[in-house]
Amino acid sequence: MRFLHLVLRSLLRSRRRTVLTVLSLAVSVMLVAILQSVLFTLDSFAHNPNASNRIAVRHKVSITNLIPYRYIEWLRQQPEVDAVMGLQWFGGVYQDPKNFFPNFAADPEPITRVFKEELVEYSEAQFKDFVRDRNSCIAGHALMEKYGWKVGDVITLKGTIFPMDARLTIRGTWRSRRGTDEQALYFHWKLVEERFPSLKGKIGNFWVRAKNPDDVPRLIERIDRHFADAVEPTHSETENAFQLAFLKMMGDYASMIHAITAAVLVAILIVTANTMAMAIRERATEIAVFRAMGFTGTQVLGLLMVEGLLLTVAGGGTGLLLSFGMAGAVRQTAGTFLPYLADFTIAPETLLLCAHATMVLGILSTFIPAYRAVRRPIVEGLRAL
Amino acid sequence: MSGNPIITCRSVAKSYWRGELEIPVLQGLDLEIPRGGYYALMGPSGSGKTTLLNLIAGIDRPSGGELTVCGSDLASLDDDELAGWRAAHVGFIFQNYNLVPVLNAYENVELPLLLTDMGRRERRARVEEALALVSLTDRMFNYPRQLSGGQEQRVAIARAIVSDPDLLVADEPTGALDAKNAEEVLALMERLNREMGKTILMVTHDPKAAHHARIQIHLEKGVLDKTVERHDPTHHDLAPLPPNDPRDGD
Repeated sequence: MRFLHLVLRSLLRSRRRTVLTVLSLAVSVMLVAILQSVLFTLDSFAHNPNASNRIAVRHKVSITNLIPYRYIEWLRQQPEVDAVMGLQWFGGVYQDPKNFFPNFAADPEPITRVFKEELVEYSEAQFKDFVRDRNSCIAGHALMEKYGWKVGDVITLKGTIFPMDARLTIRGTWRSRRGTDEQALYFHWKLVEERFPSLKGKIGNFWVRAKNPDDVPRLIERIDRHFADAVEPTHSETENAFQLAFLKMMGDYASMIHAITAAVLVAILIVTANTMAMAIRERATEIAVFRAMGFTGTQVLGLLMVEGLLLTVAGGGTGLLLSFGMAGAVRQTAGTFLPYLADFTIAPETLLLCAHATMVLGILSTFIPAYRAVRRPIVEGLRAL
Repeated sequence: MSGNPIITCRSVAKSYWRGELEIPVLQGLDLEIPRGGYYALMGPSGSGKTTLLNLIAGIDRPSGGELTVCGSDLASLDDDELAGWRAAHVGFIFQNYNLVPVLNAYENVELPLLLTDMGRRERRARVEEALALVSLTDRMFNYPRQLSGGQEQRVAIARAIVSDPDLLVADEPTGALDAKNAEEVLALMERLNREMGKTILMVTHDPKAAHHARIQIHLEKGVLDKTVERHDPTHHDLAPLPPNDPRDGD
């Protein structure tokens, strides 16, 4: 502690340079934190523990091909199956294309059983109204709040995949544990099917809920084997695998994010190393004087390393604080058109990653110039005016 | 020279290498300096005076010979031991003062004490005492940029003596000062030698500065050329020396 004032004074020797370095570090760390949090959020969406007993069944050829609705009868008969529902991504927008949220045309009755973990709090009476009224829908609480909807309101969803306007009466809502799970809207598949005769007897997916998560692999294998020789064969996978495949449609986002993160870290390492090298080089004589007075090489190296670490920790800390502010902005902006990001936050894992990255940056950027300065003979340092 | 030398050089040699080329700077130099002496090292550029000073101060290592300073064979000490030895025995006074610009006078003087196990209160007393000795108590919290050259050098002297070293080494201590400040600094060094018994070894080009020393050692091409002793201690209006002053035995 008796050397702390030396370190702090040295840090503030060139205030402008220190402030600029801290700011450049802060912006970079904020960028890394945001990017890694996006990755973490998307990954957590595809690793939902609540989905462990749910299976998505789709056409073997592609996610856009429809499968016969009659398959539902065979699926329901399987002893391991708890509930099955037909589900079709509708992709409608409300009033304006930017008002995008997940909306599905589905079988109304099994929703509360299939998504038991997500639909935590709801009114049985409201859901009965929804089942009875073919022109109705249910919407998550967060979505209702976002658009100021109330039960009984009539809204129109403009189809982007199916060329139709769905005019729907909101019959009910639900609350969930996560805001993301309150962002969806469900209405009757029959409404779409009736509008387009070519869709009669078909649907995009079946969502199967197994009684036991242990039954899921066996069930997946049996479903696909059973329909393997059908005209419309199936491809079944866990809900998490399905979500991951859906996310992959955006491209290999994980590699992209990792590549950008690595590029940012390398860039800031070079900037910080350059700053520290300059700061240390211009103090060559001072370092020699310290050593002449009796400071050992290790002591001087320690002082310089603490200085470098404090600089990077100040930058990293500021960056993380900024990233929390940015997370709110991401929720408000990207969260509206990418519902995956509606619950966007800086996860503890990301905080830890950024803290470690900052420390490593501090050590790497300082050690080499500090070590070289300390190894320099004292008499050379004293001549370096 | 004396039965109790603080510095003993036996056949001390020092060479530098420029690529394949060996450049000898000191060539088998023998020298003894008694405790409490005030010596000026003189000679033309390249004569090896600063090299000799650096070797004696333990910030450089000889290529050959034996060098014993303050009772330690410097060749036998590793880098960390040598650093500890310097902290305990040597105070440095540089031509350009070399104060730390981001520390005030007090903090600059305190620096060598941070290496000791002294508490804050004791350090404070020592620093105040050192600054009082160089008459800079009123400038204690001024930063180097707020001091004149002479004041900076006096702070540097306070820093050199604060840990009470046996040996003060000064490399052109008045080289960057005007005549008046140079005279003040030299008078101060003479006082440290006379009143506190500090052994002083000073490199200088300036015959006036050298004249303050009791003995001038002239080097020429890395070997001892001649020594000149000053006989008149009152030459610089000094107070009479105490009877047991170490210089009496020189």
